Amino acid sequence: METARLKGAGYADVRVVQTEQERYVVRNGAVDTLSMDQSMGFGVRVLVDGVWGFASSRDFSASEVDRIAGLAIQVAKASRLVGLEPANLGSPVTSVGSYTTPISVDPFTISPETKLALLLEVDRGMGSVAGISARQCNLVFIKEQKTFANSQRAHVEQTIYESGGGMQATAVGSGEVQRRSYPESHGRMQGCAGWEYITRMDLPGNAERIASEAVTLLTADQCPSDITTTLIIGGCQLALQVHESCGHAIELDRVLGSEAAFAGTSFLTTDKLNDFSYGSEHVNMTADSLSAPGMGTYGWDDEGVPSQSTTIVKNGRFVGYLMSRESAATLGMESNGCMRASSWNRIPLIRMTNVSLEPGDWTLDNLIADTDDGIYVDTNKSWSIDDHRYNFQFGTEMGYEIKNGKRGRLLKNCTYTGITPEFWNSCDAVCNRDHWEMWGTPQCGKGQPGQIAHTGHGASPARFRGVRVGVMR
Amino acid sequence: MIGKEMCQDILDKALRVSNALDADFYLSSQEQGLTRFAGNSIHQNVSHSDAQLHIRAVSGRRLGRAVTNDLSDAGIAKAVGQAEHNASLMPEDPDFQGLPDPADQAAPTNNTDSHDPPTASYSPEERAQAVGIVCSKAASSGLKAYGACRTGTQEIAVASTRGAKNYHVATFAGLLTTVMSDSSSGWSKGGSWRIADLNPQALAEEATDKALRGENPHDIEPGEYAVVLDHYAVDDILGALSLYGMGAQAVQERRSWMNGLEREGAMSPSVSIWDDGQDPSGWPVPFDAEGVPRQKAAIVLDGVIGGPVHNSYTAGKEGRTSTGHQVNFTGAPYATNLFMKPGDQTVDELIASTKRGLYITRFHYTRLSHNKGCVMTGMTRDGTFLIEDGRISHPVKNLRFTQSYVEALAGVEGISRNTKLILSEVGFATRVPALKLASFNFTGVTV
Repeated sequence: METARLKGAGYADVRVVQTEQERYVVRNGAVDTLSMDQSMGFGVRVLVDGVWGFASSRDFSASEVDRIAGLAIQVAKASRLVGLEPANLGSPVTSVGSYTTPISVDPFTISPETKLALLLEVDRGMGSVAGISARQCNLVFIKEQKTFANSQRAHVEQTIYESGGGMQATAVGSGEVQRRSYPESHGRMQGCAGWEYITRMDLPGNAERIASEAVTLLTADQCPSDITTTLIIGGCQLALQVHESCGHAIELDRVLGSEAAFAGTSFLTTDKLNDFSYGSEHVNMTADSLSAPGMGTYGWDDEGVPSQSTTIVKNGRFVGYLMSRESAATLGMESNGCMRASSWNRIPLIRMTNVSLEPGDWTLDNLIADTDDGIYVDTNKSWSIDDHRYNFQFGTEMGYEIKNGKRGRLLKNCTYTGITPEFWNSCDAVCNRDHWEMWGTPQCGKGQPGQIAHTGHGASPARFRGVRVGVMR
Repeated sequence: MIGKEMCQDILDKALRVSNALDADFYLSSQEQGLTRFAGNSIHQNVSHSDAQLHIRAVSGRRLGRAVTNDLSDAGIAKAVGQAEHNASLMPEDPDFQGLPDPADQAAPTNNTDSHDPPTASYSPEERAQAVGIVCSKAASSGLKAYGACRTGTQEIAVASTRGAKNYHVATFAGLLTTVMSDSSSGWSKGGSWRIADLNPQALAEEATDKALRGENPHDIEPGEYAVVLDHYAVDDILGALSLYGMGAQAVQERRSWMNGLEREGAMSPSVSIWDDGQDPSGWPVPFDAEGVPRQKAAIVLDGVIGGPVHNSYTAGKEGRTSTGHQVNFTGAPYATNLFMKPGDQTVDELIASTKRGLYITRFHYTRLSHNKGCVMTGMTRDGTFLIEDGRISHPVKNLRFTQSYVEALAGVEGISRNTKLILSEVGFATRVPALKLASFNFTGVTV
């Protein structure tokens, strides 16, 4: 920061990050991956005359630190060549302190032998079911030690732990390919937590069930084709629905155009803040970075802003964004601490924290009993949404017909499609906290150069009326 | 940039401290500068570098791994020891046939043709100038430009106890932009390992022209349409077919679109697709993360489906040798240097031959809906137009499609003679023509 200041930076911040990661993958009876990875480096972000520059390195020698600070200044000065309004960061950020993810058991104290034995047991469980053509299970453990300081005298140190695990079984036959996953699809379920998070999943206890369900799906009935019906969406799938149709849509940098050429923009333009019916009265959403084990939980974001909770949708009305210091200032507001960088060599971007659908007051049994005709779906298989976060289509691993208030036959290849605000306005019931779980997305892509973020999403099952279902070929 | 000598020095250090009977070491290094712009201004501008040493240590039929970016003597020794320890913890894998042996492989190449010094030294100021050309063009048309310009250098080097030894350095350059009006957008993207191949003015004009012609799009009904796909949309098709089935792991696990179609004429006889990591008209990467030279692989030949690409593990399961497609340090083999055979028509001729259909610039957020046939869903974006009586009549709102990419390529009715190299940020490269397809299934529209 001193070099940056001497070379003309009006503002500077530095992050030093060391990451340790253990990865275990067992695939079809064999250990596919047993790897310990480490990465360490630093990034320097500067404002010169209100314009940004960033540079980073893995080399901590004094000469390289000076070179990188100077390179960040050079990059910022180049930015000035193509006009920009000077960045306004709003009020100074002067946070000081330390934070460590609350964990019961440090996952790095559990032996690799124990972790491998767990996965091999899971693999044997899936492998005991006839008809499975591929099976995979994995564990991931991350420890990120991060120091952030800025030229406004902020200095925070954090140690973030994450633990994750999951399994997938794929069955092939009868002209079909069907997959089941547990606890989530997309590889694994992950949280800011310790080893206790893994034991709570009871992976071995679910292995045979998951494999059996994959085989059963091969001969299950097809989801009805292109009908409009009532849909009850399980919490696991609904978490991804929240991620794609709310979480990304409320990123203020996206709203302001920063991501327009890559992932797109958002229909939730600033004129809609506090004046738009995002969903029905049953829809309440929050974004918070306080709630471990959600993967968006920390002490301060990568601008040094403290973690906090923000109401996003209140009784259906859109009332909040995910913000950085600079983007918040454009609305005359203060950052709510959502700037996160995936690594020491990436700049922080506005990323989801734990963006969640708040629980309602239904039990799932009562919700199904209250539904004459519909389909229950859960666990994501495919996902796609347009560049305004408006038009979406999702597929799920499994579905069940609902007839006269009872869960009926198993359905495969279920898909549903809709328009985001129409869909959330069709929500007429949300299940209660007993059914609510903090799910998440450990592979959320954004930015150029690309960054992968880990985000949390709490959800319980909810019911939607008049949804278009069964779009396949 | 680390340089060939330093790379080999690092690998030699790893070899010296290795106690495993068999081990290999893959060093990857990248320096990149990337300038992003939004609303005709640069808003993000970064420079970064990193280098990682990937270690695989063998103990019997066990393979332990470790990765580090600490390339000090102590850092290398620690990671090598960790990989060896990891190997000792694993059960034997009967399908693991050992590390690839250079004696079993084609001669390694010394392809350095994809390193371009002007690209390697391209400065933040030069990137800003290129961006300025795009932004000026958009602004002069009353539009706003968004996008990114990136340049950099990538090095890979491999050494093994079996005698593998190889080094490659490549440069990359890319400029992409979405130019937007209040009701439309246009897209262009250029990529090469030579910065001189990029023409910011031409890219700016391409995207601006699309945005201007796309203003005030008309409503359109979903349904089956003939389509003319710009190169960008064709790139998406090849990318999906690669991701969801051109690799041997997917085929061996019977979840690939190739399963059941091998040696079948599942696509139009005019379709040929191959992977070639040695071709300098693509983005050459002459050997893979195991040090195996990339073999040219015929994925589709005259419409007939060929075989998948292999790494040493999947090849070993079938008693064959790797085709050199272990793209990353871990994971499955992938085809990442794809080419599609060009035809003999211009894009205008493809449009002229279409009675009624849609012209698609590119696809957005495409995802697999079903493995069989590689059924994909996604949106059109940045320039969608109705074709009537052989000419583009007017812009239309974007549509959602749900379509088997394999079936789509069975209906190829025309192929452009000009091809375009399209580089992704993650090292995936295609050289593709534009296509006319008989039918594409659109299942929804935007509001």
